[in-house]
Amino acid sequence: MAKKILTVDDSASIRQMVSFTLKQAGYDVVEAIDGVQGLSKAKSEAPHLIITDLNMPNMNGIEMIKGIRQVADHKFTPILMLTTESDTTKKMEGKEAGATGWIVKPFNPEQLIKVIQKVMPA
Amino acid sequence: MVAIDIQKQSTHHYVHSKTHQWTTKLMPGEFYVTDKEELLITVLGSCVSACIYDVKGNLGGMNHFMLPHSSNGQWAGDSLATRYGNYAMEHMINELLKKGALKENLRAKIFGGGNINSHMRDDVSQSNIAFVKEYLLIEKIPVLLEDLGGDYSRKVYFTPYNGETSVKYIKQPSETVIKREERYESELKEDEINYDVELF
Repeated sequence: MAKKILTVDDSASIRQMVSFTLKQAGYDVVEAIDGVQGLSKAKSEAPHLIITDLNMPNMNGIEMIKGIRQVADHKFTPILMLTTESDTTKKMEGKEAGATGWIVKPFNPEQLIKVIQKVMPA
Repeated sequence: MVAIDIQKQSTHHYVHSKTHQWTTKLMPGEFYVTDKEELLITVLGSCVSACIYDVKGNLGGMNHFMLPHSSNGQWAGDSLATRYGNYAMEHMINELLKKGALKENLRAKIFGGGNINSHMRDDVSQSNIAFVKEYLLIEKIPVLLEDLGGDYSRKVYFTPYNGETSVKYIKQPSETVIKREERYESELKEDEINYDVELF
């Protein structure tokens, strides 16, 4: 069965692009438009991996990760930040919140898939 | 480690000799976001510029970009071009949101995509135009003004705090403008774009 990935981004163009890349690689994709929806879909959809933006309305990526790490099933789910932010302080915040990795946009699709395969072996 | 040196914040500030306004000039590949009463200027050939501002927040930003080619001189696949274009737009919009702009208050005015350079095919300008329009449509950011295409370059003036823009048309762009755009174009080859990944 294909692994399921949750992608969280407030930008419709980014969601479109990430979903396209993931589906091409054979993953099932669930989308969320902000941290609030991301957190709720992380619970209801039981994704195997989560990719999230940082700056989003209602709840940002870091707050969302903290929320997701509280869920017993998601203690060890790989969570990748995909963001325009390359600031070291922000990265540290992400790491402390429980992010698995940090990818700075613009991303390279092949590289994104490689990173996913690395943190989520088939 | 900051691997990406494309789409950086402009740092060319000066006082405008005629209007005496604090002015920031954007070069190809740059963007700038401000909540101060300053004037932003850029000169566009086949590149495009989106001036985006918060109608209630007295702040806004401008970018100046084109879509990349792959290193063999051919158009890069849609995917690379779109990713870079998305990045050029999103980076600026994220900086605006960080400064307190609200997405639903954002409005856009878009300029450029002139066909100024005989060696550059017209589809360069056309792709840039098509991209910026499509992006704003998908992101549901209303476009209040578009001044695109034609066979001239444009000098665009933008004051983000009130969203006002004006344009000066230049039939014969200077060598400097053409050279600058060509240099930017050559820097945009895919193998020059670095990607930054860190696993914790």
